[in-house]
Amino acid sequence: MTASPLPSFAGSVVHIDGFMMTFAKRPVIDGLSFDVMRGETFGFLGSNGSGKTTTIRALLGIYQATAGTLHIDGRPFSPDNGVRLGYLPEERGLYKKESVLDEMVYFGRLKGLTHDTARRWSLDFLERVEMAEYAATRVDRLSSGQQQKVQLGVTILNNPELLILDEPTKGFDPVNRRLLMDILDDEKRRGTTVMMVTHQMDEVERLCDRIVLLKDGRAEAYGTVTEVQDRYGGTTIRVRYAGVIPDSPRYTVILRERNYAELAPAGDTAPADILKVLVDAGVAVNEFTTNRRSLDEIFLMVYGDESAKAVR
Amino acid sequence: MRRHNLATVVSFEFRRTVTKRRFWIATLIVPVLIATVFALTYFSSRATSNSLSAQKHASFSFTYVDASHLVNPEIASRFGGRAATSVAGGIAAVKSGRIDAFFDYPAAPATHSILVYGKDVGIFNNAKYSSVATAILQASAIARLPSPSLAPIVRGAVSVKSTTYTNGVTSPGLNGVIPPLIYLLVFYLVIVLLGNQMLTSTVEEKENRVTEMILTTVDARTLIIGKILSLFSAGAVQMLVFASPVVVGYVFFRSSLSLPNVNFADLVIAPRPMITGALLLLGGFTLFTGALIAIGAVMPTAKEAGGFFGAVLGSIFIPFYASSLIVSHPTALIVEVFTFFPLTAPVTAMVRNAFGSLSATASMVLVVELFAIGLFVIRMAIRLFQYGSIEYARKVSLRTAFGLLTKR
Repeated sequence: MTASPLPSFAGSVVHIDGFMMTFAKRPVIDGLSFDVMRGETFGFLGSNGSGKTTTIRALLGIYQATAGTLHIDGRPFSPDNGVRLGYLPEERGLYKKESVLDEMVYFGRLKGLTHDTARRWSLDFLERVEMAEYAATRVDRLSSGQQQKVQLGVTILNNPELLILDEPTKGFDPVNRRLLMDILDDEKRRGTTVMMVTHQMDEVERLCDRIVLLKDGRAEAYGTVTEVQDRYGGTTIRVRYAGVIPDSPRYTVILRERNYAELAPAGDTAPADILKVLVDAGVAVNEFTTNRRSLDEIFLMVYGDESAKAVR
Repeated sequence: MRRHNLATVVSFEFRRTVTKRRFWIATLIVPVLIATVFALTYFSSRATSNSLSAQKHASFSFTYVDASHLVNPEIASRFGGRAATSVAGGIAAVKSGRIDAFFDYPAAPATHSILVYGKDVGIFNNAKYSSVATAILQASAIARLPSPSLAPIVRGAVSVKSTTYTNGVTSPGLNGVIPPLIYLLVFYLVIVLLGNQMLTSTVEEKENRVTEMILTTVDARTLIIGKILSLFSAGAVQMLVFASPVVVGYVFFRSSLSLPNVNFADLVIAPRPMITGALLLLGGFTLFTGALIAIGAVMPTAKEAGGFFGAVLGSIFIPFYASSLIVSHPTALIVEVFTFFPLTAPVTAMVRNAFGSLSATASMVLVVELFAIGLFVIRMAIRLFQYGSIEYARKVSLRTAFGLLTKR
């Protein structure tokens, strides 16, 4: 499967072109190209070890790219470029011996805010996340959930114009996950460009305008969520039934559970033809619906061949 | 933005350093020790002074025999003594407790000891017998001199002022050596006190997994330079704290503490050694700071980084093993090697500079060498931190480090 030619956007905030990265002579990224447009929420998807974090680190100048162009706002990223960036790395961390407020004010100052503005903003944020009474508490005395909230606050401290989130819900409890989603909704409304790495496909379907799927260091698929869904066959047939679903060249069984199955039509096979196959085989069909294939299913198709086989 | 961030980093790092308990423990332990030593010296000095005064005026009964014929009976009498008829009789009188002491002056006191016998009054108070026996002989000898002005000469209270010349110009001697040597003292204090903090200053970002957050917020160079400046400021605080008991002791308790009376007006501040010394200090500081930060940047934990501190400290103490050679034979091969080898250069060159054995050409070469290598190493440290500190859990291998340094 090959990705369609990738257009270059004049209005892109993030522009990656021909990016290659090798570690110890082993290629990790092999000619990756994509753009993230201003104001959109972009999903950067891939299995573990596919090179997502490497790409983000190279984009932010933490790694040196072996080859290719990685630009934010038309030039390589540097903290002094003036881009208001909010970055939540996969590897989370704060200065543990500092008080919450001192830490937030420090990052606020580094991001160009005045001391008073950073302090006021931080106190407002702590109020919002119900942590106002912890302003003077040392970070290492907070629970991990509270530390996550502080980390989120530091990430969005300067009203970023570009928000890069690497597995933002990783390790988050449901409360903080909801908080993050609320923050993302706010940022989207504000027009912030969001680039997020996640394995939560429901989040991608709900939040993302466009996505890129990374596999073996290349863009496996790239476009709007609908475009990608269409590209991977588009339709899944869900059947509730009694009996035994027969094997047939007209479909592939993606999922088979007790009295429930999901079928992928082969080629141009129409749903009616599949229904006929089932009825002819004596299957008592109680419910028969056609749906666009979910990103979860596409993810399994692209990355999880082995695990997909295991559930069949 | 960069300047604003530098100030922010410096103030944040400085505040963090000086609000740590271990900083103040390390900072106060030396002045507390100095103050304790001063206090002990002060009280001991007072006790000794009181004791000496008491001994001087101690009155006790004694007799003596004088084979030298030097003892003036009048003087002995002033001390409360009288001549005895025989040695055996004198000793017997002491033993029986009829008198406190008996002195047996030999025929040639210059070559033979005065024999003193006394009633035991404790290990410290027993000293009064020999003090008085000696004082009587000295006073008697001085009384025999033809002129009283000869008395100080006999006592050895003679001062000598010597003048030496270098190329026809009066050389300053030790008064010219002391001022540039102060740079050496400052260098040692800075490296010994702050070296470990320099080494671990960049490890904290790794240990706290904050590297990515910080490197996308502030330029690595600004961060590292900010850390260096904050460390230097913290070092200045430490030196002030260290110096305060010495200054207080010198100004207010100099005589009680038996501190030498230094006449600062005699110190010679010659421009060339002072400027050279300052440049060697700055160059050495730059080199060692860069080296320590570079090591810290490739180490995953403070514990592992700490193992290298001994090696760095060793390099500044090695020249001490050849210190007499550095002063007496500055052109010896080993001294020349120490002078130009980067890690031993600052200490060796500062000593040679103070003693005037560092030529102008060698000074210039060394200053350029230290600054050039120092700045290169700091640049290397920044690069290693920028690209190597993301290796959170393991050391950056030499191969990777070399790769990072040679990439564009």
